[in-house]
Amino acid sequence: MTSTVVRARGLTKRYGAFTAVEAVDLTLEENRIYGLLGRNGAGKTTIMQLLTGQLFPNAGELEVFGREPAEHADVLRRMCYIAEAQRYPDDFKPSHVFRSAPWFFEHWDAAFAERLVEDFRLPVNRRIKKLSRGQLSAVGVIVGLASRAPLTFFDEPYLGLDAVARHIFYDRLLEDYAEHPRTVVLSTHLIDEVANLLEHVILIDQGRILFDRDAEELRGSATTIAGPRAAVEAFVADRPVIGREGLGGLASVTIDGRLDQAARVHAAELGLELAPVSLQQLIVHMTGTDLRADASEKEVAA
Amino acid sequence: MTAVIDQPFTRSEPRLRPAEIWRIVRLHAVNPTVFFGVPWIILGGAWAITMLISLIVSAGTGVSIVMGPGAGGAPEDIDGMRYSWAVLSPQWYLVVVGVQAIGLTFSFALGFGATRRDFWLGTSLMFVLVSIMYAAAIATLVQVEIATNGWGLGAHMFDALWYGQTNWFVDFYTTFALQLLVLFIGASVTTVYMRWRMRGMIVLMSTTAAIVIATVAVITWSNSWPAVFTWLGGLGIVGAFTVVLGFAALFGVLGYIVIRRATPR
Repeated sequence: MTSTVVRARGLTKRYGAFTAVEAVDLTLEENRIYGLLGRNGAGKTTIMQLLTGQLFPNAGELEVFGREPAEHADVLRRMCYIAEAQRYPDDFKPSHVFRSAPWFFEHWDAAFAERLVEDFRLPVNRRIKKLSRGQLSAVGVIVGLASRAPLTFFDEPYLGLDAVARHIFYDRLLEDYAEHPRTVVLSTHLIDEVANLLEHVILIDQGRILFDRDAEELRGSATTIAGPRAAVEAFVADRPVIGREGLGGLASVTIDGRLDQAARVHAAELGLELAPVSLQQLIVHMTGTDLRADASEKEVAA
Repeated sequence: MTAVIDQPFTRSEPRLRPAEIWRIVRLHAVNPTVFFGVPWIILGGAWAITMLISLIVSAGTGVSIVMGPGAGGAPEDIDGMRYSWAVLSPQWYLVVVGVQAIGLTFSFALGFGATRRDFWLGTSLMFVLVSIMYAAAIATLVQVEIATNGWGLGAHMFDALWYGQTNWFVDFYTTFALQLLVLFIGASVTTVYMRWRMRGMIVLMSTTAAIVIATVAVITWSNSWPAVFTWLGGLGIVGAFTVVLGFAALFGVLGYIVIRRATPR
């Protein structure tokens, strides 16, 4: 039994002539981990700011925990969103952030926060202005984890984190999520790093949703066919091509969709190699160039 | 300027949420240097400089400064110091505190799930508490300065300008009103920036300038300056600072209206 936490219909945010988020339809279910993926400036942060009531939409309907989020204390108290470029009060130190957090998050776990501070080796008494990018990300990650808010947003949590810290985040999130299920939305453009965490992927580009799919379904939903150019082209002729690369007489073409057993056998007979496509490769193919209807004849140069 | 959908809010939570408001006060105070530390350092520094100047003046010029009552062996009153603005020195910094309360702490509080309404009410409560504290402190220091005959040096730092003329309560009231105005001006002007960004600031500044110029022009052309000064003079200290307090309240209400649709940076 899952219930819907967020429901958006035609959600739009404009800044003058620029449309940051255009007619987005979105549904988030309870107790799932969502990836909000897209390139820089795709509209990820704007969507999260709309969902947390920090921005007011220009059009569309938005319900979070059953009602519009902005200015509703009952909705807002169930969310945690530390922006990637979060502003902190003047001369704030991480210790100030963690001291005030329990006043705002009823499920705040101070012991857990303390453990995370040690894990990330965060200097809690250094001014936030003086923290490195990775340490700044760690502050947001610690608040997001220890707040245990029913709807938690992580905005680019990996930015500047070293390999060890990324691993710690990954482990702690999964551990804590298992014990305290909640809805997590993770925005990032570092896709391979989070690919295994995600249960659901929402890919956004230029303010629109390109796809909104179950991660499991997505893994292996695209296939790369490599081999002699002529054979490859013949094989993919009537299939939805999302990416094309070539070198001399060889070609490598990525198609959307799975190949059935017969197609696989046929490919093998033609001497073609089939390879699964990672989430990151898939997204590069989807957003690397404009592949929407109006520009479908353009070829991928990636 | 951003268009907004103006839908009436349907509420499930109580309209007045003391806990949510109080936690904003605590958030402002969690780093005490901002509201308490720095203003006292500035005031302490101004006091130290005033003391040094008093020492230099009384030591260096000896006889020539005899202007006060000069009774017995008591140090002479340095009369020119009544015009010292040292007592107001933390006000410039407190305007900035008002600005930063909105420019920085507001964005942070929204990330922590505060509503704009609770944030503004909590911030206003913080301003009132801070103003009460400074008003009580300054009014008391005025009395101390008078009682110690200018810290034993005939100096005037607190017993200056309009202070020390009547009693503790008048000094308390005037400081409270001024303090509140200073904080609310900084905060409410910043809400305009947080809602409409630079364009809003330009409109605000040019409108304010236009109103000031128009007022001056109207008074000048109608030869009303003497009447204006008579009216101001007739208000007295308490009356004038009641006007100041009224402006503080006005800025507080305007800030509330503007911040309800403000967005974080």
